[in-house]
Amino acid sequence: MTSPSTGAPDVLVSARGLEVHFPVRSGGALRRTTGLLRAVDGVDLDVHRGETLGLVGESGCGKSTLGNALLRLVPPTGGTVTFDGADVTRMGRRELRELRRRAGMVFQDPFASLDPRRTVAQTVAEPLEVHGLHPGRQARAARVRELLQLVGLDPGVAARYPHEFSGGQRQRVGIARALAGEPDFLVCDEAIASLDVSVQAQVLNLLRRLQRQLGLTLLFISHDLSAVRHVSDRIAVMYLGRVVEVGPASAVAAEPQMPYTRALLSAVPLPHPQLERSRQRIVLRGDVPSPSRVPSGCRFRTRCPDVFAPCPDVDPALQPVGSAPGHVAACHLHGVVGTPVERERPDAPVDAGDPAA
Amino acid sequence: MTAPVLEVEDLRVDLRTPRGTAHVVNGLSYTVGAGETVAVVGESGSGKSVSVLALLGLLPARTATVTGRALLDGEDLLTMSPERLRQVRGPGVGMVFQDPMTSLNPVLTVGRQLTEGLRAHGTPSKAAARARAVELLGEVGLPDPGRAVDRYPHELSGGMRQRVVIAIALSNSPSLLIADEATTALDVTVQAQILDLVERLRTEHGTGVVWITHDLGVVAGIADRVLVMYGGRCVEDGTVDDVLERPVHPYTRGLLGALPDLATDDDADLATIPGTPPPPTDLPPGCVFWPRCPVRGDTRCETEQPPLAVVGAGGRALPHRAATWCAEREAS
Repeated sequence: MTSPSTGAPDVLVSARGLEVHFPVRSGGALRRTTGLLRAVDGVDLDVHRGETLGLVGESGCGKSTLGNALLRLVPPTGGTVTFDGADVTRMGRRELRELRRRAGMVFQDPFASLDPRRTVAQTVAEPLEVHGLHPGRQARAARVRELLQLVGLDPGVAARYPHEFSGGQRQRVGIARALAGEPDFLVCDEAIASLDVSVQAQVLNLLRRLQRQLGLTLLFISHDLSAVRHVSDRIAVMYLGRVVEVGPASAVAAEPQMPYTRALLSAVPLPHPQLERSRQRIVLRGDVPSPSRVPSGCRFRTRCPDVFAPCPDVDPALQPVGSAPGHVAACHLHGVVGTPVERERPDAPVDAGDPAA
Repeated sequence: MTAPVLEVEDLRVDLRTPRGTAHVVNGLSYTVGAGETVAVVGESGSGKSVSVLALLGLLPARTATVTGRALLDGEDLLTMSPERLRQVRGPGVGMVFQDPMTSLNPVLTVGRQLTEGLRAHGTPSKAAARARAVELLGEVGLPDPGRAVDRYPHELSGGMRQRVVIAIALSNSPSLLIADEATTALDVTVQAQILDLVERLRTEHGTGVVWITHDLGVVAGIADRVLVMYGGRCVEDGTVDDVLERPVHPYTRGLLGALPDLATDDDADLATIPGTPPPPTDLPPGCVFWPRCPVRGDTRCETEQPPLAVVGAGGRALPHRAATWCAEREAS
């Protein structure tokens, strides 16, 4: 990981103008397409080799879809994704299979993401079989034992079934499976969200240890800002399908430059009563607009406490902000930079203040 | 302080399960004053939800045995007739659960669900109940309440649904509000709005609040007093400052140590609590936390159950108490 001031960072995964739009269909027999749900809507994001990039945002902001699109688990409808220099959106079957080996995924719900009829050994060995790694039954069994040890499980549990495990142990099995193909890149999508506090800490520590030990590149998707702050080298903030601020974790946490990031951080309750009593909280008005009715210009303007003249007319681009190198934000408060809105665009409503949105 | 709204004394809940009797709540005592917020914290399986479901008679009578006393404005909830209990739920106690989508009826409009409670508890006319429903929706900060009243739950966002549930819980101005993980499923920004709302209602109406959560950050912001549950017992209680700033019980310390802190730049590993909570069918005989305790000492921890005893300065109206032999050991 190199900072931009000393040279170009070594980029492993890169998205440019990435879009994932889903058609919104009407009910009834005709199923006509009546609109577009812009889950990911023009994301530029680099994941540097060897770093942990935290991706935060409220539910529905598109962070999971972005994680899926980077691995082509959902097909992007626009823009490009490159993985180690290769264009993911144009990969054929064989290249895609190699991508699946090199990029793993840890899912949120360890109860839903493990097959209840397969033993731990079968689950963890599946990627080995698919990719033809460690051929031979004994070699495979040895590798499974090694993987279980790596994630802190007793290799003796290999013959057991998922229902015999607690949530934290299941999540370890999920991590072992994701690591089976010796990936370079791991996407953790809300990997600690369904775990108890004390177990969350165990899994966070494990992920950090694995990242250092194996030199992994990690995309850590979570709505839990404290956890993201703890594990990440850099943090990217997403709002309504767009990355609106990226920077070193300490800079984003201590000096957020975009009003949305500020509000998000101020809303995180901290376990210190005296601090909580004195803290000024920025309470945002209303809810996130629907991704099928994205506001014109800056998409945060309908809830922004600092909204001013250019916000409805110019779609802000990411620009350098603050004092830390590599800290960028899409906000007109730092100078009006971006694309003017085409007024005739029919799907850009003037106001998204609809309570149903 | 005036007479407490809720007085729970030695509450015990046993559930019959195929694996034997589960001792889910084992002697819980606390009081909630008017306008006071008591937070009950603990991890899943600590018995915090069951302890409030028992108060309202919401556990299946065939499998649950509830003993102890729970006085709501002086009247025992646990010995009440089902008819009386039905009268008390609403004007006496309002309840908010974690998932607003499962606590709302998907085929009825928001207005129907709000007026149901109002009409059952004394607002006779349909028109008056509807007007009050619109007023309540406005009070909980729903935009455009006049239109929202005719909407169905699926047309609302998670935060708005939870506001509707809170509006229903508050519709008969209860003296006590019980919230069970009410903001857990919500985004932090929406959670902040809901916490503000509850805070306002508490100061304006003097409602007593029991707030059940695993989130110690939320506790720090809203609670006057905190009760930490583990293995169906209260292992530590006191003012929010006592419990979060000067925790005594190793479990409370462990929970706080396991939290990543947004405010500091600390790169060290998080503290963890090894192992898992004991199954309620097979609780250890001594200190419930003993098998996982990082500072467990003599055989006393293993064999003798520590009482909830005052720690630190005594003689205060709201003492700081902990059920552990450690405090004694540290002092000596």
